[in-house]
Amino acid sequence: MSRLGSLLRANLKSNFGVSVLVHRFFREKKDRWYLPLVALGVLGLLPALYGYLRFIRFVFELLQPLGQERTLLTFAILLGQFLVLIFGLYYVVSAFYFSRDLEMLIPLPFKPFEVMLSKFAVILVNEYLTMIAFVVPVFVYYGILSKAGPAYWISASIVYLLLPVIPLALVSLLVVGMMRAVNFSRKKDLMILVGSLVLVCAGMGLQFFINRTAAAKVDYQAMTGFFTSPNSLLTKIGAGFPPAVWATKALAGAFGGEGLAGLGIYLGVSLLLFAGMLLAAQTLFYRGLIGIGEISGRRKALSRSEMSRRIEGGRHPVKAVLGREWRIMNRTPIFLLNGVLTVIVIPLVFLLMARVGTGNATSFLRAIAAGTGLTGILGAAAFMIVSGCLNGTASSTFSREGSQFWMSKVLPIAPRDQVIAKFIHSYGIAVLGFAAGTAVLVLGLGLKAGPLIVAWILALVAGVALTAVGMIIDLARPFLDWTNPQKAIKQNLNVLFAFFADFGVLAIVGALAYVLAKAGVGGRGLLAFLFATLALASFVSVRYLLAFAERRYREIEI
Amino acid sequence: MIEIRHVSKSYNKGKVKAVDDLDLTVRPGEIFGFLGPNGAGKTTTIKMIVGLLKPDAGAIVLNGLDTRTDALACKAMTTYVPDYPAVYERLTGLEYLNFIGDVYGVPKAARLERIEKWLEIFELTSAVGSPIQSYSHGMKQKIVLTAALLPAPRVMVLDEPMVGLDPRSAHHLKEIMREHCDQGGTLFFSTHVMEVAEKLCDRIGIISKGKLIACGTMDELKALDRGAGPTLENIFLELTDK
Ligand SMILES: Nc1ncnc2c1ncn2[C@@H]1O[C@H](COP(=O)(O)OP(=O)(O)OP(=O)(O)O)[C@@H](O)[C@H]1O
Ligand SMILES: [Mg+2]
Repeated sequence: MSRLGSLLRANLKSNFGVSVLVHRFFREKKDRWYLPLVALGVLGLLPALYGYLRFIRFVFELLQPLGQERTLLTFAILLGQFLVLIFGLYYVVSAFYFSRDLEMLIPLPFKPFEVMLSKFAVILVNEYLTMIAFVVPVFVYYGILSKAGPAYWISASIVYLLLPVIPLALVSLLVVGMMRAVNFSRKKDLMILVGSLVLVCAGMGLQFFINRTAAAKVDYQAMTGFFTSPNSLLTKIGAGFPPAVWATKALAGAFGGEGLAGLGIYLGVSLLLFAGMLLAAQTLFYRGLIGIGEISGRRKALSRSEMSRRIEGGRHPVKAVLGREWRIMNRTPIFLLNGVLTVIVIPLVFLLMARVGTGNATSFLRAIAAGTGLTGILGAAAFMIVSGCLNGTASSTFSREGSQFWMSKVLPIAPRDQVIAKFIHSYGIAVLGFAAGTAVLVLGLGLKAGPLIVAWILALVAGVALTAVGMIIDLARPFLDWTNPQKAIKQNLNVLFAFFADFGVLAIVGALAYVLAKAGVGGRGLLAFLFATLALASFVSVRYLLAFAERRYREIEI
Repeated sequence: MIEIRHVSKSYNKGKVKAVDDLDLTVRPGEIFGFLGPNGAGKTTTIKMIVGLLKPDAGAIVLNGLDTRTDALACKAMTTYVPDYPAVYERLTGLEYLNFIGDVYGVPKAARLERIEKWLEIFELTSAVGSPIQSYSHGMKQKIVLTAALLPAPRVMVLDEPMVGLDPRSAHHLKEIMREHCDQGGTLFFSTHVMEVAEKLCDRIGIISKGKLIACGTMDELKALDRGAGPTLENIFLELTDK
């Protein structure tokens, strides 16, 4: 195999860790319980897939009489490329510039474009996985519905494989050029932060877009308009971004003249952009990369008095660990984004959707606002819990330490104290989320003080249990050997498991309450029951967490 | 005092035996140099002393306290510098030192005095206000050394501490190590530099394939004479030759 080939292989392997998984499952026979869990997750997605397929069929049948059914393909292609664009920006910046193995790769005898190509391949695979759920159902179902011949399936495969190339190459060119033109390196943290915020906004935009589309479902006229009218959003974007039109032609035109022309031009432009990107990489990539680890701000010596002022004394270890957690979390952009920023952004997104959109979120919030007594309280509490607890702070608290975990093992701090500090930190962020949620409920929907206070009590108690559960899950198998902080939180399965567990806890408590309500228990009785069960769950989980910590801190070897 | 009593440790469920029935004692006031070829088990031994790894068998006793039963008390009197220190990159040097001071309970006056002294010696004073992320490799090493000295520990464990230090810093470190032991402290360190071990250590242990193959003062090692030659290097090469 060529040098480039082995570089590509090594990079793909180390990123998707198939060999590690295979080793774990089949050699060490560890982590086998993943398989049923993953299967369960897939099963859980089936209803969503079914809904999506019905939607596709509906649109297809709506458009077919007009001879416009191919617009469905344009829609899927645009959606796919839009996703690629959004996620791509993020993947590209972190893979090209902020992955630590670059330090290792650069001195090796590879050309800049080869190094970049190996990174590009990893991103490409990531993008295929991202798009699969949105694009493949449309391509496949369209093929079935239109009884397409083999030519369609061949072009569909080609188009799908090429789908991420154009947007990714564009993003890469943009990023590589930007990194070269502006010396972002000194402000790399700022750049990640700004980039991520742009991402969040774009994500919100997509939400609106989908919400609108979903809402239009009932309205045949609007739906047909959306897909066919020359003034509709879809047509406009399509016109501004012709690759989607070419790809549509390639797909729908089969191997006829128009189809081949579309395919040809689509392929050509993809390859051209790709080549352009490699060329840019060859000349610009390393130059933008130099000095990436540099820290802004000049170094200056601390004066004696300054030093004496800054040297503290006699903080309790819990306080010291808490200070460390808080600082590291907020100074690492990717952690900040998933902690403090998330708990503020989630409620805001809901509020915006309530104002603009017509989706589920709105009806949910309206129900809280309109709900009198019990529904209002429970809705508000649920909203606050979602705002504060659905983030990876608790469930990545040990993983985030990564290779620095050796200090937690070596330093004379009782595991109990370390865990208490981490708990306070995670819980603090949850409470911040409750506050943000409350602000939305009060300012946006004018919820009254009475129900709010009761909701706060419920949220505070539930928060204890959910934080402890998240921490227990992370402590059971912390992910410590990451090289890129993004992996500690974004690619950490513990965060995902904690979501499921949190929903599980809430679902069980909710189901019990429902049974009681059916059995004729009144509002106060129900609230008392909820409070009691959540308090019990909190007590048990915190007790277990502390005991578990004593054991796990001894067991984890590093 | 460090007592390592018949300690064994293997990785991968017993497939790799890294340390095999190791038994040795480092007395108070003693600098103990731990030598051995790559992969001999030095780092593994050190990680067990400081509690990063759990021995499969045997016990480790620090100043009379068993690391299994009095883990916290053992940690409170020990500091450790790993071979590749991964430190809190996002904290400034001073924040890191303050954190260490807090967890070891160093009072403010002592903290200020010691921090100023070590920073001066290691020429870190001007960098201590910046994030550790911006330090060079040697500077990171030195900030971790400073942190290890800050609590004035009774036991210090260093894994290849000279690697990456410039000659002046390495020289200072050797003096500091001597000073630590003259005040009754115990010091255990691994190294590949024969000259350092020969000049600095009170006693030397040589480990190969997980087994201690020689242990004693420089004179005692020389007395093993198998016609190798007078220097530690000769002895090392002779003993570890297969
Ligand atoms: N995490 C690990 N997993 C599996 N085997 C390991 C691990 N760490 C060390 N080993 C093995 O244990 C043995 C001893 O390794 P150790 O790191 O203690 O050697 P060392 O004497 O410190 O070597 P060096 O001089 O290179 O630092 C080696 O055979 C090594 O391959
Ligand atoms: Mg070693």
